[in-house]
Amino acid sequence: MNATRREFIATGSAAFAVACVPDWAQAFQPGAAADALRAEIADAALTHAATLGASYADIRINRYRRESISTREQQVQNVQRSTSYGFGLRVLVNGAWGFASSNVVDATSARHAAELAVSIAKANAMLATRKVVLADAAKVVTSWTSSFKKDPFEVSLETKIGFLLNLNKTALVPGVSFVTSQILFADEQKYFASSEGSRITQRLIRTYPQFQTTATDRASGDFQTRPVVDRAKLLGYEYVEEPMWLADAEKAGHEVVEKLKSKPVSAGRYDIVVDPTQLFLAIHESCGHATELDRALGYEANSAGTSFIKPTDAGKLRYGSNIVNMVGDRTQLGGLATTGYDDEGVKSDEWHIVRDGVFVDWQTTRELAPQIGQKRSHGCLHCDSWASVPFPRMPNVSLQPAKTDVTLDQLFSGIRRGLYIVGRGVSSIDQQRYNFQFGGGVIREIRDGKLGAMVRDAAYQSRTPDFWASCDGVGGPATYQLWGTAADGKGEPGQTNQVSHGCPPARFRNITVLNTAAV
Amino acid sequence: MLTRDAALTICETVLDHAKAAGAEDAQVSLSNVEESHARFADNRVTTSGRSEDLDITATVWVGRRRGAATVNDSSEGALKQLAGDAVQIARLSPVQREYLPTLGAQEYSADRGFAASTAEVDVFARAKALQGMLDACRSQKVTGAGFHTARAAASATATANGNRRYFRNTRADLSVTARTPDGTGSGYYSGDHFDLSKLDAQRIATEAVNKAIRSRNPQPIEPGNYPVILEPQAVSDLIGFFTGNFDARTADEGRSAFSGKDGKTRLGEAMFSERLNLYSDPMHAELPATPATNEGIPASRLSLVNAGVIENLAYSRYWAQEKKREATPGPVNYILESTQTPASLEDMIKGMKRGLLISRFWYVRLVDPRTMVLTGLTRDGLWWIENGQIKNPVRNLRFNQSVLAMLAPWNVEAIGRSERLAPYVVPALRLGAFTFTSISDAI
Repeated sequence: MNATRREFIATGSAAFAVACVPDWAQAFQPGAAADALRAEIADAALTHAATLGASYADIRINRYRRESISTREQQVQNVQRSTSYGFGLRVLVNGAWGFASSNVVDATSARHAAELAVSIAKANAMLATRKVVLADAAKVVTSWTSSFKKDPFEVSLETKIGFLLNLNKTALVPGVSFVTSQILFADEQKYFASSEGSRITQRLIRTYPQFQTTATDRASGDFQTRPVVDRAKLLGYEYVEEPMWLADAEKAGHEVVEKLKSKPVSAGRYDIVVDPTQLFLAIHESCGHATELDRALGYEANSAGTSFIKPTDAGKLRYGSNIVNMVGDRTQLGGLATTGYDDEGVKSDEWHIVRDGVFVDWQTTRELAPQIGQKRSHGCLHCDSWASVPFPRMPNVSLQPAKTDVTLDQLFSGIRRGLYIVGRGVSSIDQQRYNFQFGGGVIREIRDGKLGAMVRDAAYQSRTPDFWASCDGVGGPATYQLWGTAADGKGEPGQTNQVSHGCPPARFRNITVLNTAAV
Repeated sequence: MLTRDAALTICETVLDHAKAAGAEDAQVSLSNVEESHARFADNRVTTSGRSEDLDITATVWVGRRRGAATVNDSSEGALKQLAGDAVQIARLSPVQREYLPTLGAQEYSADRGFAASTAEVDVFARAKALQGMLDACRSQKVTGAGFHTARAAASATATANGNRRYFRNTRADLSVTARTPDGTGSGYYSGDHFDLSKLDAQRIATEAVNKAIRSRNPQPIEPGNYPVILEPQAVSDLIGFFTGNFDARTADEGRSAFSGKDGKTRLGEAMFSERLNLYSDPMHAELPATPATNEGIPASRLSLVNAGVIENLAYSRYWAQEKKREATPGPVNYILESTQTPASLEDMIKGMKRGLLISRFWYVRLVDPRTMVLTGLTRDGLWWIENGQIKNPVRNLRFNQSVLAMLAPWNVEAIGRSERLAPYVVPALRLGAFTFTSISDAI
């Protein structure tokens, strides 16, 4: 037992936890009265907006709670809980959008927001060269809750702190200098109402554990890190109780010690096998963002950029080799972008983005779909807060596994000189999603089909169509894993999105690898 | 926007509730933000809105156990609940080993950097300004996209040991990207100020349009090492990775680019051009900052790099106590400037035999924290210079470049006049070498 743990137990805090945690948890639970109040406020806003000239309006009245715990080595650095409640109203007037939001949630505030939003829309309508047209959407009155077995907000703080300190202790193998770990839980309770009659209540629970080990050589001033930070899921506390966390912590400890002593990579051309722990990020950057229709239409030109794929390319553009199949999906179990309905009330969808290597379809919203002749949105509208304007965001975009049982060893076989790339390293890609550079958390040599020594300072560079064209092997269903990012940035003002990418490991031929310490 | 009295009354109310609930020490902070924006693309407004929020955070200690909670509701019931929640979390938490008593009363300079013109933006006046910018794009047959935002914020803090502080600030940002219809040219320009009336919307649009037209049909060059001129925007895109390394604790722990050999730091080393100063100053005329650090230490001018020598690292209250010294009065902003008379961009170009003129960088990431090697790409305007003249636009390039080497004494050839690009004030730089590793097809 570590010192902090002893201090913790000595005061009887564990018993106190059982008695006190439900107070905070229960205070957040909405009841019938809260539901009725939300409906009344929504009606006030939507009715007033219509009176002022809005042809369409929708409102999100959302309540969030979050709990975060951060630690380093054997001490707790911070325990923080937060709640946030407010609404955001979007109106369409004369074919132009207006939006207003407030943390004061009552009917008076809602009507004031309607006046502000309509005023903004009218001012913007003067500049409009084209009116916004929305794809049809079904009127929906329903509720939906994400899949979880154990509500993390009903688990004691002591248990959560115990998990992190045990993780740190396990990772602190000889040679590890530092370990930091965090866990964040989010509970989003969302209410959506539109002037078309939809009324949707949703609850989403997310769990975000992450940690990083660091090894230092004080004599030389050298240091290396091994982060495990991309494992968040739309699941409850049962995810934290899975056995892999401690095994991964110990592995990350040994790996960072080995990494500090490893040799630099020799720059050159390699066949590479990219593990799902890294490939998910390559998919995110090179396929996920490239197939957002708002980018292709220029909406993001001033910020995130456009796309190398043109709006007319669907069904025509060769994206990768025949074995590359990418699916957009907001229904996948555990996926961070999974939801019942998007933030304009469109039911979640699953569709092919790349089929047999050909780009076939976009990520769309009600505003975007008609611009490429589609009648229905794929349900990709999202806002990161009640205070944010909803706009197109990425669904879970996943590389499909081979239909046969291809193993990791089979992917290694036949490689004479290669690298196996595992875990998060640096990622960077241009504004049209052509040229990218990705690193890795742990990179090992492949020699004559066998895994070899760890190397450091390696990053691979390629061009999206060339990279996916060079893909000549993907793992089978048993190798498929779901990883994801909890902080995907886009838009102005910037918003963050949570999105997962499933994939098997995959093999790519003749890829440029840099030694980043020698540039 | 909450006034000083209203904001501190909320903080003190929570403080009282926290003490009543058993807190032995406490700090209550409040942030009240109003933000208004318009985003345009394809020569029209795509999204536009206004938001307001109020975050109140109570941090309390019971027997050196720390708890923190945040709400965005200032009703009496919510404030009492907030204090109770924070105390409850503290009682459930382990002892905080790095606990320090909250700050007592301090003397702060009056804050600068608040302008009513920014806080009270008129949406119809904004639409008129945007109309002028869109007209500038249409008249040159380019497609305009951009972003206009105005933000006003008030922050307040009260501690159980008597610290009271309240500050306000505003910030307006305007940026434009112009793209030619053939997709071969793209230009970007931006400006920001605490006073919206100081932003020249027409100039920002015109600069972006000119860059788009001048950058059409770029030609490829081989990746490699080239002399470069970085416009201030390009310096701003890189400099955050540099300024983020001045934390003393990280350096002392051996995991920073400013960690030295044998457990030492690189404090006092002449690592950079002797013509470069880097400092923080809350009273800077163009980029005034909140006159207190996040921990409430009264901010004053703090030199980080003096004539190329690392003069100070930044100490938090805790780390300062560990090292038996004072916490540093910053940094609260970053000003990089020349110790000598600045060179004009025109003179920098005239003085270059061959090299590249870079408008900005994109998707810059830290590759190696030991050497501050960054990777990223050029974007929205890259030109080849030969014999003192701009010859032709160049296809975009990916770089892998150490910031330490970039600012090294042997690499900095000329330094321009520094200008505000919040949260920095930075100059254009002419550098002897910059490493590019591949070509990008992106425009």
